[in-house]
Amino acid sequence: MLTITGDRYQSCDGLQRRDFMKIGALGLGGLALPDLLRLEAKDGKKTNSKALINVHLSGGPSHQDMWDLKPEAPSEVRGEFRPIPTNVPGMEICELFPKLAKMADKFAIIRGMVGSVDEHSYSTAMTGYRESDLKSVGGHPSIGSVVSRLSMASADRALPYVSLMGHVTPGYLGPVHQPYVPDGGGKSNLRLGKINADRLKGRTDLLNELDTMRRDVDANHQMEAMDSFTQKAVEVVTSGRMGDALDLEKEDRATVKRYLGDSNGQGRSGGNRNFLMARRLIEAGVRCIAMSWGGWDTHENNFKTLRDQLPALDMGVSALIQDLTDRGMLDDVSIVLWGEFGRSPKITNNAGRDHWPRVSAAFMAGGGIRAGQVVGASDRQAADAVTPVHLHQIHSTLYRNLGIDVETTQFIDPSGRPQYLLDNRNPVKELV
Amino acid sequence: MKRLIAMALLLAAPAAAQEKPEAPAPASLSIQAAGTDDQDAGKAASLTGPESRLQVVVTATLPGGRLVDWTGAAKYTAAPEGIVTIDETGLVTPLKEGTATVTAAAGAATASVPVKVEHYVDPPLVNFPNQVTPIFTKLGCNSGGCHGKSGGQNGFRLSLLGFEPGDDYEYLVKESLGRRLFPAAPEHSLLLMKGIASVPHGGGDKLKKDSHEYRLLVRWITQGMPYGKDDAAMVTGISVFPRHRVMAPDGRQQLMVIAHYSDGSAENVTRTARYEPNDKLMASVNESGRVQMLGTPGEVAVMIRYQDRVAVAEATVPLGAEVANLPPVKSIVDDHVFAKLKKLGLPPSPVADDATFLRRVSLDITGRLPAAEVARKFLEDPDPAKREKAIERLLESEAYADFFANKWSAILRNRRDKDTYASGNFAFYQWIRAALDQNQPYDKFVREIVTASGEISDHPAVAWYRQVSKDFEQVEDVAQLFLGVRIQCARCHHHPFEKWSRKDYYGMAAFFSRVGRKEGLSPDEQRVFHQRGIAGSKDPKTGAALKPTGLGDQPLDIPAEEDPRLDLANWLTKPTNPFFARTLVNRYWKHFFGRGIVDPEDDMRDTNPASNKELLDGLAKKFVESGYDLKELIRTICRSSTYQLSSLPNAQNASDRQSFSRYYPRRLNAEVLLDSIDQMNGSATTFTGMPAGSRAVQIPDHGGVNSYFLTVFGKPGGASACECERSVDASLAQSLHLLNSPDIHGKMSSGVAKELSGDMKRTDTEKVQELYFRAFGRPASEHEMKYAIAHLTKFEAKDRPAAYEDIVWALINTKEFLFNH
Repeated sequence: MLTITGDRYQSCDGLQRRDFMKIGALGLGGLALPDLLRLEAKDGKKTNSKALINVHLSGGPSHQDMWDLKPEAPSEVRGEFRPIPTNVPGMEICELFPKLAKMADKFAIIRGMVGSVDEHSYSTAMTGYRESDLKSVGGHPSIGSVVSRLSMASADRALPYVSLMGHVTPGYLGPVHQPYVPDGGGKSNLRLGKINADRLKGRTDLLNELDTMRRDVDANHQMEAMDSFTQKAVEVVTSGRMGDALDLEKEDRATVKRYLGDSNGQGRSGGNRNFLMARRLIEAGVRCIAMSWGGWDTHENNFKTLRDQLPALDMGVSALIQDLTDRGMLDDVSIVLWGEFGRSPKITNNAGRDHWPRVSAAFMAGGGIRAGQVVGASDRQAADAVTPVHLHQIHSTLYRNLGIDVETTQFIDPSGRPQYLLDNRNPVKELV
Repeated sequence: MKRLIAMALLLAAPAAAQEKPEAPAPASLSIQAAGTDDQDAGKAASLTGPESRLQVVVTATLPGGRLVDWTGAAKYTAAPEGIVTIDETGLVTPLKEGTATVTAAAGAATASVPVKVEHYVDPPLVNFPNQVTPIFTKLGCNSGGCHGKSGGQNGFRLSLLGFEPGDDYEYLVKESLGRRLFPAAPEHSLLLMKGIASVPHGGGDKLKKDSHEYRLLVRWITQGMPYGKDDAAMVTGISVFPRHRVMAPDGRQQLMVIAHYSDGSAENVTRTARYEPNDKLMASVNESGRVQMLGTPGEVAVMIRYQDRVAVAEATVPLGAEVANLPPVKSIVDDHVFAKLKKLGLPPSPVADDATFLRRVSLDITGRLPAAEVARKFLEDPDPAKREKAIERLLESEAYADFFANKWSAILRNRRDKDTYASGNFAFYQWIRAALDQNQPYDKFVREIVTASGEISDHPAVAWYRQVSKDFEQVEDVAQLFLGVRIQCARCHHHPFEKWSRKDYYGMAAFFSRVGRKEGLSPDEQRVFHQRGIAGSKDPKTGAALKPTGLGDQPLDIPAEEDPRLDLANWLTKPTNPFFARTLVNRYWKHFFGRGIVDPEDDMRDTNPASNKELLDGLAKKFVESGYDLKELIRTICRSSTYQLSSLPNAQNASDRQSFSRYYPRRLNAEVLLDSIDQMNGSATTFTGMPAGSRAVQIPDHGGVNSYFLTVFGKPGGASACECERSVDASLAQSLHLLNSPDIHGKMSSGVAKELSGDMKRTDTEKVQELYFRAFGRPASEHEMKYAIAHLTKFEAKDRPAAYEDIVWALINTKEFLFNH
């Protein structure tokens, strides 16, 4: 990470005696990109391969039927599913996750997760905050937007932030840092279409001849930054690397089948295409993927819905973890699965469960965390946290995995207020 | 880059080792220890108790009269020996009671100051707010990143930056069953053991064992943790020496900070105060208050904070080059800018050529490129007043109102949160646009917004109250937009970089305390009215009742039947308001120069001073005298030689980013870029819900029209009152879009290329010339013509359209096109 030495904000990590402020805090102007690139080169830092797949289980998944089962609870609470043992002694998950149960040493379950709000939104999962927080300056940024903002200074070879779930808020970091959404226009920009490679080369050659304005007229070095991005854009388009990553036809059939199953993605397993695409995009250089999977707002037919969805999710997530393991990428790539809240302990008359923001659970894998454990705990009815883990701690852990120091990273919001990324900046200590 | 390394080295190297001023031997010296006025040189200072200390500043007068800091270079002695000790950085600490004379020497020159040590053996009780809390601030314990954040850190909390010492005392002494402090064995107090990290501490060893701070804390705990009497003296202000200095680009300066107390006493708090330069590329300051210049000429300020007080030390760093052949003075802008450039010895670039001027001023006033024909005529026009005439023509055009309405619509937050907002937003936009088109005086414009009442359909400015709906948003937006004050911090605590406190904040909030709302005639269009009653507000922490009060002004008694917003508008727009006119002229200055005289443009405070105060004051005065005439302000700016300077740097001014010695290029904003591509190419973009032929700058509100191009190039969402929401950051997604999008390809194949390739009357040379005039308002150079023609000849006749498309594409991708320069 590149930093400007400053004095206003003291770090709390005890590692740095001086204070640091992130480059280019909004409205402050700062170091120019080429300076930063040179500085990074001088540091001997390579292109960062740390990445995140942030999976929003939209609607609020039933924590006590997936990751935090309560077989001893009364029948009106415990639900229809039984826990099964995993390859980590004492770590149990739902019986509908047989594939994941064989690789529990590669993930961690966070129980007793608190900090949720009763609001149907990806907001807490993507930003750590509710939609209305800081709304007067645009809201809090999603993790990917922060990565995008900071990766302006790095030698990234691809788009830093891609969303497979449509628009995700960039918050106060502004629209330039919203995710790239590879549908329609976004997708076609990545591939040579009407203009073939020869013609593109002809154009860029011509541009090089005609674009003669002296770059030193721009002391802010925006011109050089644009030159650098243009070069990358030519490389992305002519190599087809990003476009290919989005094309699952280019993937090995057997691998595709591990994600999609025998039905080839008919039904629930269709959502697993995005897991595979996420892996392919990260291989192409993307730093953060936002995606959602399934529908979890099970006020009715909770168990029927889960019986339908969990095996497909089991297949997709286990295939993703296996792929990343096989490629030696799991320590670099963090995966998190979570929803906006948990579900009520008491089963309703419609065999459903209602919203339950008091406690929920999350699933984490990769990124170098200490896997093979359960962290935090809820009470006997999965109604309240006994050993709470705040969702900001999970965000903090994810940022840490990405190499972003939440204790020192600050942005100046449009109202001039310095903002940390999170209020609770302690990572989940058991995981790091 | 070199500068950065230099900065890193300076920060890493020991302070004293590098004090080698290369100036000639001083003609005389002066030394200050007790006061910050020039006549305080040699004034006796005192040290009270064994934990006291003070920083001296030694100033050398060189032959010729120049003043240079000699603090780190002087040789120090104290006589008689054994009473005080002084180190090579000028820090004096006591050894026993008595009075010593501290003498600084440099060659034959000397200067002395008496220092009296009192109460060395019977130290007075430590005062918690005045002595303990500042330690937490200095060491960063109570910063927003650590224990100062709301909720504290790992169970231990302090008030942010020590603004609430009473609370800090509670947290430390009474919370956690008193386990943090241990008077029986002070050094076993958790506070100290954590501070020096002898027990694990997330923040590390912020405190050094046996340091000044450590010893003072031990003393305080030993004394039984006194808080201090209720009537104890309080800090009423801080002052700094020197307040202003002319410095060499590699110069350094030790500062001295004196805290003034309510009982008339003073204390040298240099080593406890906090320092921050406003431009970190120009200066750095170490923990002891020593400023190091980093090689860039210009103006720089160092903000000094102690308790809830701020002060500022300013430095002018001249380059010292000869400034001859200045361009003609065309308006007061040039008087002030050229005076500054002469003072700095920073020669400006020459005035730009006609083509550059016309393109620049057209983009800045109207957001449009000059039409090719207009540009041709302008170049041929022999009239010496043609630039002034062009400015008039642009100011009278419809495009001027379009462009500036676009600017104001964003910061007035004309945002479509719901579909039902559309009609109200359109009305508000039309109202803004009409005000600009008719050149409504700015004070009237603001008054109508701030006092807006009734239905949006009758009084469109009421839409501002729909979007800016909470009283705190109204306070903060009015402060930021119209006063250039970012007051948000003072909502909860004293502003860290300003004089503003919660009292000031809620005094402003009281103006909005009588804003009533009821259901309007249309859905989501509330009616705003004055709710009869006495206006007032409460400080949420102390419960103190506050009357409506303009920032820095006296509280007002406003009768129940009067809308307090009228009083606010009166206060805002009175000619003596120190913020109102300055903020607007600075905002407009930034529009035309890419950098404010104060920058950011809405962060005007003593600790972030103007790079050219006379310029800011002069423009503001003229603006008030003109009756708040916005077009006249634009005229004043655009007619100046300063605005018309070339962006090409000369040998001296390439790194200038604040003195306006040349024009600073900047990327066209999202809407202007899209419109310019269409204009150059003869194409159009369709926006949902907008009539055909509409341009991007004419989109009336924010969030209602979806355009990938505009989003990716950083069109703001109208979410805040800050212009900084509009981003000109570069990104890969932008480059991909320009390079390879069906959007741009489609424009290329349906635009001017098609027309030119089908035109049999003109030669290729003439056609290329046409494209250059469209893009840049100038003819192609020989080199450019050669390459363009060479490109055309590579293609067969049937592929001529493609060849022209390539040229159009290349031209819109040049920096000369993408930037206003």
